[in-house]
Amino acid sequence: MIRKTVTEVLEKGYNIVVVDDCSKDGSKKQVTGLPVYYLRHRVNMGQGAALQTGIDFAKKKGAKYFITFDADGQHDSNDIPGMIEFLEKEKVDVVFGSRFLPGSKTNVSRYRSVALNFGRYINFLVSGIMLSDSFNGFRLLSKSAAEKITLTENRMAHPAEFLLLTAEKKLKYREYPVAIHYSDYSRGKGLKNRDGIKILFEILLYKIFR
Amino acid sequence: MNITIIQVVLTICIALIAIYMYIRLRSGLFDVILIGLFFAVGIFFVLFPETTNDIAHFVGVSKGANLFLYTAILFLFFLILKLYSRLRRVEQKFTEFVRNKSLEEAEELDKKN
Repeated sequence: MIRKTVTEVLEKGYNIVVVDDCSKDGSKKQVTGLPVYYLRHRVNMGQGAALQTGIDFAKKKGAKYFITFDADGQHDSNDIPGMIEFLEKEKVDVVFGSRFLPGSKTNVSRYRSVALNFGRYINFLVSGIMLSDSFNGFRLLSKSAAEKITLTENRMAHPAEFLLLTAEKKLKYREYPVAIHYSDYSRGKGLKNRDGIKILFEILLYKIFR
Repeated sequence: MNITIIQVVLTICIALIAIYMYIRLRSGLFDVILIGLFFAVGIFFVLFPETTNDIAHFVGVSKGANLFLYTAILFLFFLILKLYSRLRRVEQKFTEFVRNKSLEEAEELDKKN
């Protein structure tokens, strides 16, 4: 699955950093031979940590724009060019992908919508930023945003941390409608609704102890 | 003076903790004095529990046992907070370590090394 995702993005002509968070299912073999940078955590650290590792590496390589893109095929590489154009036109630092803006093609389930809707209020309470979709992993960062934002929440509270840092560093941001294709594969890989409680707890701890 | 079962049990527990601490920390004179004091005060309150009532009344709590419970909860809560923030710091250091390692070992998969 990751090979398909990576290949599609490669076809659009972007550089890819694959961060393998100590996976046990042979992710490296799947992308071997493709022109990508491959980084592996020796220990499983969590999604937030993996994102930061990828961003750090891209910074070292002198990237101009940074896109975070889930590997399970739920995002659509066709959205990338429009997103970058949008960032340049609006002169913002961060573009958040949203599956709930008009123009997004998304097959999100009813329950997931309710959970996400609840979550965005939580993230609003933490950060003061209200997004239509605050748990979307598809984001675009400008160089200055990538330099100012450093995620320390290794696991699942990083969307809240990301928003809080966006607000604190006074970065300009907008939302952009993106497609989300849920498949049985991505549903198996991704978060369950019941993980919401765990995330809520992590966000709370983050807010108290940061 | 009647000695109850709980007094025997608590005295033994306190003594064991004191011995354990002494073995682990046996460094300076100061530690020994501190452990000795802890031991003495603990045993004293176990053997004469009524004395804690006086302290409790003085601060406005009805029973010595209640006062002890309140302070113990506060102390444990404080300890958990300290431990958790320590844990977070350790995790951040560890993350940094793993991240730097992975940045050093980055590969380009279409090129043979």
